Amino acid sequence: MAPGGFFGQALVVDVHAGHATGSRLTLDDQVLRAYLGGVGLGTWLMHRLAPPGVDPLAPQAPLAFVYSSLVGTPLTTSAKFAVVAKSPLTGLLTDALASSQFAISGKLTGHDAIVIRGRADELSVLLIDGDGPRLEPAPDFAGLSAADAETKAKERFGRGWRTAAIGPAGERGVRYATISHDGRHAGRGGLGAVLGAKNIKAVLVKAATKVGVADQAGVLAAAKDLRGRSFGPATAKYRELGTLANLLAFNAVSTLPTRNFTAATFAEAPRLAAEELHELRGVARNSCASCSIGCEHIYARKGGGSQRMEYENVFALGPLCGVSDPDDVFAASARCDELGIDTISAGGTIAWAMECVERGLIEEPWLRFGDGAALLRALDAIGSRAAGLGELLAEGSRRAAERVGHGSLDFAAQVKGLEMPGYEPRSLQSMALGLAVNARGADHNRSGAYEADLSGDVDRFHGGAAHVAAAVQTEDKAAVMDSMILCKFLRGVFDDPFTEWARLLALVTGWDLDADELRTAARRIVRAKRAFNLREGATAADDTLPVRMLETPIELGSGRTAALTADRLRSMVASYYEARGLDQDGRVSATDLADLFL
Amino acid sequence: MLSTLLSPVRGAEGRCRCTGYPRVVGKAAGVVLAGGRSTRMGTAKSELEWHGSTLLYRAAAVMARSVDGPVVVVAAPGQELPELPAGVEVVEDPVDGLGPMQGLAAGLAAVADRADVAFVCSTDLPFLHPAYVRRVLRALTDDIDVVLPVARGFRQPLAAAYQTRIAGLVAKLLAEGNQRPGMIFKHCDVTQLDDAALLADAAVAKYDPELDSVLNVNTPEDYRAARDREPPEVVVERFGALAKGGGHRPKVVRAATIGQAAEVVGLTLDRHVVAALNGDQVTKDGRLPLVAGDAVAFLSADAGG
Ligand code: SF4
Repeated sequence: MAPGGFFGQALVVDVHAGHATGSRLTLDDQVLRAYLGGVGLGTWLMHRLAPPGVDPLAPQAPLAFVYSSLVGTPLTTSAKFAVVAKSPLTGLLTDALASSQFAISGKLTGHDAIVIRGRADELSVLLIDGDGPRLEPAPDFAGLSAADAETKAKERFGRGWRTAAIGPAGERGVRYATISHDGRHAGRGGLGAVLGAKNIKAVLVKAATKVGVADQAGVLAAAKDLRGRSFGPATAKYRELGTLANLLAFNAVSTLPTRNFTAATFAEAPRLAAEELHELRGVARNSCASCSIGCEHIYARKGGGSQRMEYENVFALGPLCGVSDPDDVFAASARCDELGIDTISAGGTIAWAMECVERGLIEEPWLRFGDGAALLRALDAIGSRAAGLGELLAEGSRRAAERVGHGSLDFAAQVKGLEMPGYEPRSLQSMALGLAVNARGADHNRSGAYEADLSGDVDRFHGGAAHVAAAVQTEDKAAVMDSMILCKFLRGVFDDPFTEWARLLALVTGWDLDADELRTAARRIVRAKRAFNLREGATAADDTLPVRMLETPIELGSGRTAALTADRLRSMVASYYEARGLDQDGRVSATDLADLFL
Repeated sequence: MLSTLLSPVRGAEGRCRCTGYPRVVGKAAGVVLAGGRSTRMGTAKSELEWHGSTLLYRAAAVMARSVDGPVVVVAAPGQELPELPAGVEVVEDPVDGLGPMQGLAAGLAAVADRADVAFVCSTDLPFLHPAYVRRVLRALTDDIDVVLPVARGFRQPLAAAYQTRIAGLVAKLLAEGNQRPGMIFKHCDVTQLDDAALLADAAVAKYDPELDSVLNVNTPEDYRAARDREPPEVVVERFGALAKGGGHRPKVVRAATIGQAAEVVGLTLDRHVVAALNGDQVTKDGRLPLVAGDAVAFLSADAGG
C-alpha cells in the first residue's frame, strides 16, 4: 500500500501520431521517501526515463508533471505541481513550480506524476482522467495564448477539466517558453517548448478519485496552526505588496541589476515601485488555490485591463532593459504572458541585445535601452520567431551570444544558459555562489542564498566560508520545500524548518521520519540533479558566472565598489563541492550515486 | 619636509549619488588608538557611553565604513575593551606608557601587509565624519608619507593619514626614545591640509562645515557638552511592508545611531527588520553610528523571493 497522500504510481503517457497510450510506473515507498515528490521525484523520473544525451525537443524526451503527498491537503500553499524535463535552454535538468487546481485535479487522476513522451502528428490536447489518457486534435488552438487555450478547452471539454497550456511561443519552440495554468507559469528553462515540440498545446486533467492521509485529525490541526502563522510578520511583505516590494529595497542596497548588469541601482526605480504603484494602481489581490497568504497583486493598466506584477518581471522588463514607464513594463509583462515566455529570460536576452546594439554588434538601431516600444517590438519578434532578430533572441542569450561572437558572451547575463534573475551577484556574494552552482542555472528559487546576504549576518561584498554554508543551507531548504511541496513564501514562518516539515510529512504519509532524514533527502535531491547534469555532459566549468561579474566591479550607492573575482568564486565553489561531498571536479562519489536509488 | 596643500586635491573623483561622498581609491586601513591615560577625564575614554554604545564603538564603526581595508583597535597592554563592531580587530601595544607613538607603531605594523595606507585616529573624536576621513586619505599619494591636517588651529596627528610603509620608521624612532609624533614629520614627506583645503571637499563642507571631526573630549565637561549635542540629520527610508501609508518616501530625522533612527520611525531592528546605510552593508546592529548626510534604508530581512 502506498504511503498516505500518495498513489504509489506515475502515469507514463506515450503519444504517437494521433493517439496516446498510458502505462503505470510503480513508485515504491523507498523512492517516494527518498525524493518526497515534486521536484525531487521529478529528478528521479528524469534519471529513469530520459535517454542519456536526448535532445530536449526530441519526441523521446520526457516531460513530467509531478505532485506530492501534501497536494490536496488543507495545508496552506500546498496546491502546487512541479514540471520537470531536460531544458532546451540549458541542455540540463530544469524544473519549475506552478500552482492551483491543476495540481489537485492532476494528482486525483490517481497518479503522483504524469510523464509525457512522443509527438502528436498535429497540434493536439491531451486529456487525462481516471480512464487514462486520450489525445484530441486541436488545430484550432494554434496561436492562442495559454489563457485563451484554457478558456477554449473549458468550452469544448466542459468545466470539470483543469488545463495547463502553452502560448504561441511554445508552439514555435522559443527556448524559454512557459507552461501556464490559471495565470500561473511554470516559467523557467523552456518547458513550454518541450511540450510544444510534442505538438501538445494543452494538458487537461480531471479528478477521478481520492487519496487519504495517515492522520486526518493531525493534518487538520497542523493546517489550522500553519494558516494562523501564515498571517504573521514573516509573510507580511508578500501579503501587503507582493514580491514587487523588493524593487525599491534592492535599489537602496545596490543590488537591482540595471541595463544588462552594468549598474546595481536604477535612478527611476521609484516609478516602478510597489509602494508607489499600490497607491496609484493597485486594484486587487489574489492567491493560488489553498493559500492563505495571497501574494499576487494585480494592477490596473492605463487604457483598461489589469496585470499581475511581481518583482522578477518588473526587474527584467524594467531596469534590466532601462525601461522606467510602468505602462511599458505592464504591457511587456502582459505580452510575455500572451506569448507564453519567461519574463526573466526574455528581459535578460533583450537587455543583452540592447547592449550589443550599443556596441555595434547587432544592427537593429531601434533596439535601445530605455525604449518601451522597442521592448515590445523585440518581444513580438521573439514570440513569432521573426527572421533575423526574432530567431536569434528566441534561442536565449547564450546561444545568441555564441552566434554574434565578438566577446558578447562575456556580458550575456546567464549561467548554464539560463538568464540571471534580479539579484546582483557582486553585491550579494552568497547568492553569487548559489547562482553559479545551481543545477537549473542562474536561479533564485532553487538557491535562496540572498537571504544570508540581506540578513546582516555576513559581509555581502566578500564571499567566504559563511557564504558557502548559507548557499548550501538555502539550497537544501529549497530542495525540500519544492519536493514536499510548500510555497517558499511560507519559509519564514518555520522556526525549526526541517523538524517542522518532517512532522507535517509524518502526519500526511505515516512515515516516522525526522529532521535528519529530511536533511539527507535534501542533499540527495541536490546531488541527483547534479548527477543528471553530469550525465548530460555538464562539468565544473559550468559552475561559474559570466565574465562581466568576475572582472568588472559594480558601483554601490555608498560610492564604494563591490568586486567578485574569478579566484574568489572558484574558491567558494571548491568549498561548496567539499561541503556537498563532491570531488574537486564537482562529481558525485560512487557511494552517493548508490544512494540515489536509480 | 612639510608642504601645505591649499587647493582641492588633484584628479576628477567620482561621487556617490546619495551622499556626494568621494569614492575611496585604493586599499586603506583604519587604526583607532584606544590606550592613553585619560587623566583629565578620570575614566577611560574608550568606555564613555555614546548613544547606547561607547565612544570607542563609534570610532571603530566610523572607521569601518570609511575605509575598504581592515580596521584595528590598538589597546594598552592588558586593557579591557568594551564591545566592538563585528569584524574589528584588536592588537595590544607591546609596552605600556609610551603614548600615541607606540600605538601608531603597533597599529601601522598590524595592517602593513594588508593595506598601503591607514587613517589613524584616537578614540575621543565623537564627531569624526567619514567625509573627513576620506578627504584626508585622498590626499595621500604615493610620494607622500603622511597627510597631516592642521584643523581648527592645531596639528591633528591623531586624525591623519599615514603610509603603512613607515611602520618601521616609527618603531625605530620609538626605540631611539622619541615618543612624540612630531618626530615622525621630521623624517617623512608630509602634506599638511589646512581648514580651507579640508573644506574644499564638497562633502566635508556640507556635512562637517565646522570641522568637528577633530573636536576631541578631554574633560567630563567636554564629554557632557558633546553628549548633549543634537544628533545629526539623516534621511530614513522604509521599504515593503515597513512602509505603510507612504512611509517609503524619504524622511529627515535626527538620530545618532541606526537604532535611534529606527525608533523615530516606529521600527525595531530584529529578525524581520534590517538596515542598510547609504546602500552599503546590511546590518541588524542598532548601535552603528550615524553622521550628517547619512541615508538609512530599513527593509524586511526576508527581502527577495
Ligand atoms: S504565497 Fe503566492 S505564490 Fe505562494 S501559494 Fe500563495 S499566492 Fe501562490
